[in-house]
Amino acid sequence: MTGSGNIHGFTLLQYGLVSYFDELAQSFLITMELYIVGLVLGFSIGLTFAIMRQYGGRIFSRIATAYIEVIRGTPLITQVLIIYALPVAINMSGIASLPLDWYYYYLDSQGRIAITLNWPILSSMIGLGINSAAYQAEYLRGAFASITTGQLQAATSIGMTRWQSIRHVVLPQGLRRAIPAWSNEAAYLPKYTVVAIWVGVMEFLNMAKTVVAKTFLSVEVYLIVALTFFVLITLVSRFLEYIHNRTKIPGV
Amino acid sequence: MQERDFSSLLAFIITAGLPATLLLTVAGLGMGFLIGLALALIRVYAEDEIAVIAQAYENVFRGIPVLVLMLLFLVMTGWPALFSAGLALGLRSGAYQSQIMRGAILSVNENQVTAAYALGMDRMQTARFIVLPQAFRLALPGWSNEYAVVTKDTAWAGAIGVLDMVKSVDYLIFENPILYLPAILAVTIIYFVLTYPITRYAGEKMTKRLSSLGLGGNY
Amino acid sequence: MSIVLDVREVWKAYGNLEVLKGVTFDVGEKEVKVVFGPSGSGKSTLLRCINMLNPPDKGEIYLKGKSLMEEGVDLNSMRSRIGMVFQQFNLFSHLKALENVTIGPQKVLGMEKEDAINRAHIALNQVHMMEWIDHYPAQLSGGQQQRIGIARALAMDPDVILFDEPTSALDPELIGEVLQVMLDIAQAGTTMIVVTHEMGFARAVASEMFFMDEGVIVESGTPNHFFTTPENERVKQFLHRLEVLYGGQNTEE
Repeated sequence: MTGSGNIHGFTLLQYGLVSYFDELAQSFLITMELYIVGLVLGFSIGLTFAIMRQYGGRIFSRIATAYIEVIRGTPLITQVLIIYALPVAINMSGIASLPLDWYYYYLDSQGRIAITLNWPILSSMIGLGINSAAYQAEYLRGAFASITTGQLQAATSIGMTRWQSIRHVVLPQGLRRAIPAWSNEAAYLPKYTVVAIWVGVMEFLNMAKTVVAKTFLSVEVYLIVALTFFVLITLVSRFLEYIHNRTKIPGV
Repeated sequence: MQERDFSSLLAFIITAGLPATLLLTVAGLGMGFLIGLALALIRVYAEDEIAVIAQAYENVFRGIPVLVLMLLFLVMTGWPALFSAGLALGLRSGAYQSQIMRGAILSVNENQVTAAYALGMDRMQTARFIVLPQAFRLALPGWSNEYAVVTKDTAWAGAIGVLDMVKSVDYLIFENPILYLPAILAVTIIYFVLTYPITRYAGEKMTKRLSSLGLGGNY
Repeated sequence: MSIVLDVREVWKAYGNLEVLKGVTFDVGEKEVKVVFGPSGSGKSTLLRCINMLNPPDKGEIYLKGKSLMEEGVDLNSMRSRIGMVFQQFNLFSHLKALENVTIGPQKVLGMEKEDAINRAHIALNQVHMMEWIDHYPAQLSGGQQQRIGIARALAMDPDVILFDEPTSALDPELIGEVLQVMLDIAQAGTTMIVVTHEMGFARAVASEMFFMDEGVIVESGTPNHFFTTPENERVKQFLHRLEVLYGGQNTEE
């Protein structure tokens, strides 16, 4: 890096980095969209697989284990690329003709089209979701496994079905216990949203790259991106820590 | 021009792309080991004021996407993409390996440290002969996990222009786009073959062996 | 008889809790001193003060005339001359039995590997553990582990060995083998301070016994004194309780 703080301030103004604020902010919303949908999707799938693995009997438990191990053993990037390319390949092979050029958008303050959802964005969300699910499933299962079998036997002894005892005994305790480990996954997921670059999504880092191409302020722009992610992740993990402290129950 | 068939594409992925993937894995893990060990020792043994700096390092490098790190090092150093990617992977892995190592050091039984002092060992001797040899063993499952993480994360290097396995698919695919999906699947399987046997071995066999030696049942 | 260890008015507190309130005694060469008393009376703390694992707040400790409390004293080399045997054995779990015994002579005393092994063999012979030298601690029973712990202390050839309730973590059927080893090395002339409730052992080898309660030595005397004419009411009650618990002097061999 070159120059003193003063010179940096000068170049920022001179090249008008400020004028790209709107575009960067818009792209940041895409990043947040990827993060939140990926997290929720990952939690839903992850919870399902965690229950399957811990309580699903031999076959379901095998399926869940295989899912978790395959996802954890392969890169997020190729997972997203596979999901993205799947309908493309189907179309190319002539089996079916899936629509891939749809998109949702809104018009920004200058009347430009701002896309909120299209196939690249959706495939990135799905990729983030199924990837995060494998990690979330492991944290959740670890928490479920720590609940004593005595409590499950007690639930059976008062006549609860297997599903009832999972629903009323395991989940309320297990989800609370999973919070610290799960928070780690939840707080760091924003980092992985940049995977969407690989399928051409204009998320935060991709927009930053176009700003670099126009302004040549590469170090400054990438430092801003790094700082933004760092602050976001720190805020989310602080927030989850706060939630965890608020929901503590003695002995649980 | 003749269209490429799948086997020649696979050959290209392995000959042109795999070396960078392996090189980055080794470089990232090796550099991460040295940094991680130093940071862990600082966090456990150094004064609080210095330990805080090590902790800040961990937080920073865990809180930034590895691709952003790669881009930053690329534009800041002007080095070839491969070096920048390796640097990013190594510095980041150091932050994670520090946590693995620190956890392992802290899980070494405190009674054995007392026994070492009672024999007349000083702090350095106790760390070197009693704590670290056990901590290295205890860290093995964590390291195998980190090996898988670094291996998979080498794929980000393609985005700054390193010719790794994922990038190698892009290089040739325009000739025969129908092979894109099979090629990416093949790359994914190669990653799985690289990571799964090691994490599996370390995850199960190692943990069993360690606990049979009375080392770290719960790590 | 020369004095090996001289403990003068040792005080120790953890926060507001006074654990030792002026303990004074000495140990001569080849003597065995047995310390007993209710839990929380400060016995273990006394041992940890003596080898400075938890240095005393005030008082004096002399090892063969040299103060441990003085500024600038090399504590590590002083500790190497005071052996310690722990309640939980505290063996190094990554080292085989033999290596547990050689590591001190090699790394602390700076001996050559072969010399350290020779010395370890002698110690391991004394505790009857020669067949087990290639085993890891996790592969040994509690009694075997404790005998390795004793060998580890012996191999340093220390001026005195401190035993901190060496049999209280053991299953009853394993206590005998450890006590037998302790009797053997006591009779071979090892200087020892033993915190224990094994009255049979005390009766057999103690040159003096101390009853500790609430951080002070309440009564001291020969085993004969304690088992025939104890003076203090607390001592009488405590000995009576031990008898009820263990059925008299059960462990005498």
